[in-house]
Amino acid sequence: MTIEAIRTEQTSITEEPYYEAIRDELEVFAAAYRNQLPVLLKGPTGCGKTRFIEYMAWYLKRPMVTVACHDDLTASDLIGRYLIRGGETVWVDGPLTSSVRNGSICYLDEIVEARKDTSVVIHPLCDDRRLLPIEKLGELIAAPPEFCLAISYNPGYQSVLKDLKQSTRQRFVALEFDYPVAATEQVIIEKESGVNADMARQLVKFGAMTRNLKGSGLDEGASTRLLVNAGKLMGEDIAPVVATDSAIAQALTDDGDMLKAIHELSRSIF
Amino acid sequence: MTDESRQNLLNRIRIREDLELFTGGALSRHANVDDLISRVAALERSQQDFVYEWCELIARSNNELAAHFISLAPRAFSKMEREGVQNWLDESITTFDNRGLGSAIEVLESVDAYAVTYAERHMRCGFDEASVFLRHFVRGLGGREMRIASDGETFTDTESLYLPDAVDLFPVPEQNFTLYKLTAAHLWAQTWYGTWRYQVVEKLMRHFDAETTLPIFNRLESIRLEACIARDLPGLAREIADYRDDDVSTSALWDAWRERAVELLGEDASAEDSLRLAAEFEGMELPPLQPYHGDMYANKVRDALFARIEREKADFQRAMNELNTSEEGQPAGEGDEAQKQMVEIEMTEDDGGDGSDVSFQISIDGELVNVPEHLRELMGSIIQDFGEIPDEHMDPSELGQYSDELLAQAGEAESDSDFDPDAKGTFVYHEWDCVRQRFRDDFCTLRETTVPAGDESFIDETLEKHRGILKSIKKTFEAVLGESRLQRRQSDGDDIDLDALIEAYTDLAQGREMSEYVYTRYRNQERNIAVMFMVDMSGSTLGWVNDAERESLVLLCEALEMLGDRYAIYGFSGRTNKRCEAYHIKEFSESYTSEVRQRISGIRPKAYTRMGVAIRHLGQLLHRTHARTKLLITLSDGRPEDYGGYKGKYGIEDTRHALLELKQSGVHAFCITIDNEAQEYLPHMYGTANYAVIDEVQKLPYKVADIYRRLTT
Ligand SMILES: Nc1ncnc2c1ncn2[C@@H]1O[C@H](COP(=O)(O)OP(=O)(O)OP(=O)(O)O)[C@@H](O)[C@H]1O
Ligand SMILES: [Mg+2]
Repeated sequence: MTIEAIRTEQTSITEEPYYEAIRDELEVFAAAYRNQLPVLLKGPTGCGKTRFIEYMAWYLKRPMVTVACHDDLTASDLIGRYLIRGGETVWVDGPLTSSVRNGSICYLDEIVEARKDTSVVIHPLCDDRRLLPIEKLGELIAAPPEFCLAISYNPGYQSVLKDLKQSTRQRFVALEFDYPVAATEQVIIEKESGVNADMARQLVKFGAMTRNLKGSGLDEGASTRLLVNAGKLMGEDIAPVVATDSAIAQALTDDGDMLKAIHELSRSIF
Repeated sequence: MTDESRQNLLNRIRIREDLELFTGGALSRHANVDDLISRVAALERSQQDFVYEWCELIARSNNELAAHFISLAPRAFSKMEREGVQNWLDESITTFDNRGLGSAIEVLESVDAYAVTYAERHMRCGFDEASVFLRHFVRGLGGREMRIASDGETFTDTESLYLPDAVDLFPVPEQNFTLYKLTAAHLWAQTWYGTWRYQVVEKLMRHFDAETTLPIFNRLESIRLEACIARDLPGLAREIADYRDDDVSTSALWDAWRERAVELLGEDASAEDSLRLAAEFEGMELPPLQPYHGDMYANKVRDALFARIEREKADFQRAMNELNTSEEGQPAGEGDEAQKQMVEIEMTEDDGGDGSDVSFQISIDGELVNVPEHLRELMGSIIQDFGEIPDEHMDPSELGQYSDELLAQAGEAESDSDFDPDAKGTFVYHEWDCVRQRFRDDFCTLRETTVPAGDESFIDETLEKHRGILKSIKKTFEAVLGESRLQRRQSDGDDIDLDALIEAYTDLAQGREMSEYVYTRYRNQERNIAVMFMVDMSGSTLGWVNDAERESLVLLCEALEMLGDRYAIYGFSGRTNKRCEAYHIKEFSESYTSEVRQRISGIRPKAYTRMGVAIRHLGQLLHRTHARTKLLITLSDGRPEDYGGYKGKYGIEDTRHALLELKQSGVHAFCITIDNEAQEYLPHMYGTANYAVIDEVQKLPYKVADIYRRLTT
């Protein structure tokens, strides 16, 4: 429910999150941040967008707020609303408002899922005015230079009803994410799941096989996240093929022939 | 007496009584009843239940048959799984109904023979069961997409893997399945590890006598390929080892060959090494092929290979040429000609020396460019054939060729039949000229006409033919409709909207008026969608594609009627800019009447594909209807093409412009196409996520409905 969104807490990231840079995203993000430009992270699911933002929050030493957008998320869920406490009405800031006030990094995950009216509050915040209008309070808050808005968007095969509007996307500096190259992905899997280099290399190879199937029966291949998950299972002594079946194949498809194909591909490698 | 044996005895007594009862005493006339009872008692519980159940049923028609069934059931279960026993019994009952007791008993008594034929039928792994799996499997292994086909011979021509109709070497279905898989994998390995590289095929055809060399080459390559597989796919290699012929002399012969050709086991060995070694092996006894090995047909490979090389070279050059302008933003300005550019391709090998796992970067004039998916795939396929991108593919004099061709805008039309732009039902549109980088005003004349009525029985035939698909389409569409969603802030509803209530209360507390919109309610989401289907009626759709388009429309209409979305259907075609046509099939305001059905049935291929003007015209119609979401979906079989230079880059750029204009007016565009090469230009015209390529025409009817559902929910 909406309460969830309201409670989304600011977190300060004190320990360096593990993030393996794919390209020049660190530099670009830092430059955008210095210039007070909002950032759009484009890319398939599970390729490290959330992890990247966490890393940047740590790097820039700013607290961050993450809001996972869903189709019931409205503008007031972001901005805030009146509540009643002990017979009194009190205003409670939403995550976006408190983030603006504190000058933290606000990450709106999967923005296209949210209701259309959210763009109304995002737009003035994302051009050079950097203002957040709070209608109910009659307030207009100017965002401090430390504040940064980042949104994510997966430009996969999507419903036209959920397309990101031009007027929205053209306000952002876009960073394109994709699955990392084999060597990098292998390192990520090793570090994240604890499997040895050999096993990680096999997992990367298996991931590539499922990505070959994208568009030929699968909507998406295995993400880095799924490969890491399979690695974690293997670390618990689950047999590799069982691990890939349950952590990857079942997550990708329900189709019988496809499940079997993925199963056999895994068996050919491990 | 132990508990167990007492239980056993009781069991047998009970069984005997039961079965005597079911068969009305017929059982006792059999010899060896005791023996029989113990055998029934020894069956598993589920098997006993089966025997009981059927015994009772059969006894209703004939006691004697039931008694025979009991006496043979244990034997049947020892030979077949439950499904086989069921089939055997079914056949006997059918025989009883048709030809009487004697014949039915004969069927039961021939249980041994029945089990043998049943096994033959059911142990084998057939092409139909395996082909979808194999296609996915081989695709996942890597490389260009392979067609999986069945044929008397087992081989690959590097486009398709030809496999036997069925594999029935083993008594266990799983083993036959594995053998099928290994056969496909072995053929795939030939295409992946370079057995049929251009250089190899060339040498083979030129310097060797195919008849003597091929069998040797096949065996040497098997040795090399299996070493490659062992390195990259250890699991597969283990299975291959299990399926080798373990006959002593056969394995000895293979070992001898392997020893002599030991250099082929190395990582750097290539098919050219096998070819070179082949001469040394001439006259030696050939080891028999393994069960998963196929044959080799060099001529078929050559034909497929050479045709592909030509095709892909042209595609590659076109794609490279389109690469600059496809970079988002403005197409190259008027001043700088697209031709004279420094194109560089840098390849990095990920692992292995076989050149199969490469990634590449392309730079134009020193600047890195994004390599689109289709080009990546195309280059992958070229590298599969050459191990690299050959220099002549990059020949700059050929690279520029495409844009030059278009400069001639000479109309070949017989001008006397051009449409009069002022006539009723005739419209004039501009067209984007990418060469001159500006619009040609009032350039296209389009006339609206109506598709002549066709035979309505086509509709019924289609509905009948796709009954199964239609059912599942309707089911998924129903789910779309059933998707109710919680509406907040209603004046009336099933539950209280806590947020709204609190807000209302705070308003009250602050002395303002309290809102009455404090309820939530579940309601089916209102669909407010208007969709225009733009159907390609160009000459190239003749035959299959036209049928598939019409069938798709029939299924789609059924589905759309259910959803209640507003929809219109128009065909388009034309010959030159002066004679473009839009064929009215169904307007937005029209219902799905018998006339509409007849028009769908009457859709026939006409002339060419001038796409831009059609998009502009149908976009206008869409613009005039009211709906929150507007969608234009194109069904097409290929790239834009018309007389007078409307082809290649010119056609694509104009279409792209028309789509941009459409987008600016708030219409979403999506394209469904059956052109396998569409990957090259569709992303550029429609944007990456806004098209779908259907690889088999037969799938079109189902896919169109499915895509529509995904697009609009
Ligand atoms: N570059 C990277 N460095 C470190 N870890 C990574 C990287 N890329 C992916 N991962 C791993 O993949 C997991 C998933 O990444 P993350 O949750 O950031 O994905 P996402 O892009 O936010 O996905 P979604 O769109 O589904 O939210 C991480 O938990 C981490 O283990
Ligand atoms: Mg995320």
